[in-house]
Amino acid sequence: MTISAASGYLFGGVIIVLVLIMFACLLRAIRGPEIADRIVAVNMLGTLTIMIICILSLWQKESYLLDVALIYAMISFLAVVVLTRVYLGVHREHMRDQAHPACAEDGTQSGETDVPAADPLSAFSAQDSENASADGKGGVQ
Amino acid sequence: MEWVRFIIGSLCILCGLVIALIAAFGLFRFRYAMNRMHAAAMTDTLGILMVLLGLIVLRGFCFDSLKLGLIILFFWFASPVSSHLLAGMEVEISDRLKDNCEIEETERKGGRT
Amino acid sequence: MSRIRKDYEQSFAHRFLVFVKGDKPLPEEDHLEEWKTRIAEVKETEQTADANYIELKEPDPYEEARHYAQSSGVRVFRRVYYVLAFLMCLMIIGMLIMNVAYMPLFGSEDSPTNNEVAERYLEKGSEETGVVNTVTGMILQYRAFDTFGETNVLFVAACSVMILLFLRTEPENAGPKKPRRRRKKASGTMTGHEFSLLYGTSEDNLSKQETDGAPSCVWPQSVAQEELEPEPDVILQNVARVVVPMIFLFGLYILLNGHLSPGGGFSGGAVIGAGLILYNAAFGFRATRRFFDEKIYDIIKVGSLCLYALIIAYYLFTGANGIDSAVPLGKLGNILSSGLILPINLLVGLEVACTMYAFYALFRRGTF
Repeated sequence: MTISAASGYLFGGVIIVLVLIMFACLLRAIRGPEIADRIVAVNMLGTLTIMIICILSLWQKESYLLDVALIYAMISFLAVVVLTRVYLGVHREHMRDQAHPACAEDGTQSGETDVPAADPLSAFSAQDSENASADGKGGVQ
Repeated sequence: MEWVRFIIGSLCILCGLVIALIAAFGLFRFRYAMNRMHAAAMTDTLGILMVLLGLIVLRGFCFDSLKLGLIILFFWFASPVSSHLLAGMEVEISDRLKDNCEIEETERKGGRT
Repeated sequence: MSRIRKDYEQSFAHRFLVFVKGDKPLPEEDHLEEWKTRIAEVKETEQTADANYIELKEPDPYEEARHYAQSSGVRVFRRVYYVLAFLMCLMIIGMLIMNVAYMPLFGSEDSPTNNEVAERYLEKGSEETGVVNTVTGMILQYRAFDTFGETNVLFVAACSVMILLFLRTEPENAGPKKPRRRRKKASGTMTGHEFSLLYGTSEDNLSKQETDGAPSCVWPQSVAQEELEPEPDVILQNVARVVVPMIFLFGLYILLNGHLSPGGGFSGGAVIGAGLILYNAAFGFRATRRFFDEKIYDIIKVGSLCLYALIIAYYLFTGANGIDSAVPLGKLGNILSSGLILPINLLVGLEVACTMYAFYALFRRGTF
């Protein structure tokens, strides 16, 4: 029994067990009662996938698969970071809206009254006040 | 000599496999997300270290093993941070935190929960 | 040194200036008080009219009729639209199925896919395009025009996302739910109501989306938008300082090795975009805007697309998709080889990175 045949058996067995573990993680990701459970399970899925990719790259002697594994590691880390950040923001908005529902309703109204009215009269009054200040300056000089 | 290297490498890989199995067991054995996080983080650090170390031993020293080392390094940077962020999120959003952990009452920033 | 005259307002120069600017002519000085009182009166009447309008809002007899007309029109329009769309889909499906009937059987020997094209790609690909990775040679040299189309698709996708999101966050288009604004927005921009008519969302849906989406003008003033963002995390920042340059370097490696190993513009650009997103998640929008704001985004995105279009124009000019181009191919396997494929990879990478970051920033916050 040569080394290549033995490593073939080893890699095949390890990949099969890893896939079984991945199914368990998938089950946890589906069942997880909270969002943290799901994120944990998905993160572990990513880690197991990277293990499988690295083993495959050695088995098939394709070194470019290692690049894929590195990119996968970066993306899975990024996924956790962005998910937690975005979910925190969403959760805070949700809590805020629950705490002040009336405030959220009024916010649209009050926000829109701040829009300056586009009728000519107000523009004219602004010009008028400008004129008055110019008058004052002229008087000083 | 070749066989010694193969045995060392395969032992490392099997060790990583066992760690992954334990982590998957912990995902179902524990009852709360924080504890599950502890189990899963073991795969992210020790499990991937053992597996990739075994692969490095099997492959020998070349450019590929450098890339494998880079993956290990990246994981050791990234995995604790993602666990930290997850725990921070869980502390802020969880309703069941007090049932499962002892909390020191401190002033939490942005505590609008 | 000239001084302003006391009767400057009555002088010819000032009148001419006012005429050029298109302002209203100023009232005479004697009538200033009179004008002020008149303005106050008009304001007062306006306020009372506003108050009356609020009171009148409930029994407005025309409101229901107007609403009915609009909604029935919408109903008819949607029915016609559905019927037409269904007919058009059927027509296209029939045409495609007729085309399929004329296709050769799958795997038959005389099928056009098993012709000399694939053979030639494999046999002469590295010789003609100077790449080691034949896939890159195919998509960027033999089929460069297709890849140009794909890059355009990315550009158009980001543009349409920007159009839709900016349309909704503008305070002018705040929707028809509020009757008080009807008088003010008579100037006729595209209102939220017309938007909802066009795209089939009902009014309540639209206004609900507005309150759920992130325009800062709609939030109550008690809780600002910046307060809702997660506070910056020191641990994440320290790790991002180490990891983000690594990610950028790796993305550049993939970009520059696109013709030597698997990868190329699309994957390398995705990695660089991921680095940008990670930097943004760690340090916040204000830090990212120091080096990547909307202006730089526009410049990079449009510039890379235009350069790519120039290269494609050169390919079209030389014919044969640039195989006979004047750019030397270089030695097989070097970084600086294979002619124009390397700059194309770089440009596509920039485009993809910008698109990824733009999607993240736009959907997360609405602006850059």
